[in-house]
Amino acid sequence: MIRYDCLKLLASRITDQLVVTSLSGQKIEWASLSQHPGNLLVGTMGTALGVGIGLAIGLPERKVIVLESDGSVLLSLFNLPTLANLAPKNLIVFVFDNQVYSGTRISEPTATAGKTDLALMARGAGIEQAVTVRDLAGFEQEMNAALSGAEMKFIVCKIEESVTHREITRTDLDPLENKYQFVRYLERTEGKAIFRGRG
Amino acid sequence: MEAQLAERLVSGLKQAGIDLVTYLPETRLSQILPLLRADPAFTLVPVASESEAVTIGAGAALTGKQVAIYIECTGLYVSCYTLVSIARRYGVPLLLIVGYLGSMADQRNNNVYAVSGAYIEPLLQALQFQFQILETGDGLETHIQDAVREMHALKLPVALLFSGDFTR
Repeated sequence: MIRYDCLKLLASRITDQLVVTSLSGQKIEWASLSQHPGNLLVGTMGTALGVGIGLAIGLPERKVIVLESDGSVLLSLFNLPTLANLAPKNLIVFVFDNQVYSGTRISEPTATAGKTDLALMARGAGIEQAVTVRDLAGFEQEMNAALSGAEMKFIVCKIEESVTHREITRTDLDPLENKYQFVRYLERTEGKAIFRGRG
Repeated sequence: MEAQLAERLVSGLKQAGIDLVTYLPETRLSQILPLLRADPAFTLVPVASESEAVTIGAGAALTGKQVAIYIECTGLYVSCYTLVSIARRYGVPLLLIVGYLGSMADQRNNNVYAVSGAYIEPLLQALQFQFQILETGDGLETHIQDAVREMHALKLPVALLFSGDFTR
């Protein structure tokens, strides 16, 4: 199973969900597959899950999807107990675990290539429903259940390392442009002012 | 901190429109926590690291929440990465409520805190975040309102550093 195939399946199911992406590879792939205004292409390690938790708390009736990676989650492990205790019902977390820091381009292994099991760690932190999927059929099944369900999901997706994202033209969306696009989309769809600056 | 100062701080946050507070508790301003918790106007979000106090706060702010982040000043070191990579890069208005341990006016200053405190102001200057140091309750509510107005105008974090009477 490679990440791009998972993301293709997910992109086909997006309607009004908000999607927060982690760092480069999946950000590039997701931005190529989806130009939805509800995308927040964070793209820095160890930050997407926190931002997604904040979005989910701020909009409890809106489904929020976070696309994370093994290296990124390992960088911000403090997110796991916080997530367990907050447990926003509208949050779905996919952790694409390729067991390498692929951005290094030398496939430097992460801890999950060794003894570390992220789903087990998540369960230890109190995210009791954390699961691991290892093939596309399993991914699709968990994804469908998460999208149609009303519980927080934490799904570790064991994937092969792939370099698909290196063949994709990167988005030129600037972070500030992305923020305004995202916030104005929320203002339209939630029917409320978010940025109330006076010109 | 005297109970009255804690009450005024919380009431000032409420008057300024703050409705969500992410926090990692510390020693100087901790009396505000039971008051925040008791007031349904606030959503309180306990975190395990100041780093995620920023990311969670930023996410909430992008949904329209008026967010304060209550942390110890050493948490500014911990959260530098997320303050830069999320709050500054995306331009997110956040009010940093900071217990200024180790500052010269910190009434409980000692050799545990003094070194950490010594670099807080240069750090905020390097980050180019506006900040104000409060040592008494004079004009407290106005200072909070000013900081909230400033963070929205800049769409950036703005810090209030609490020392002096707030650290007794």
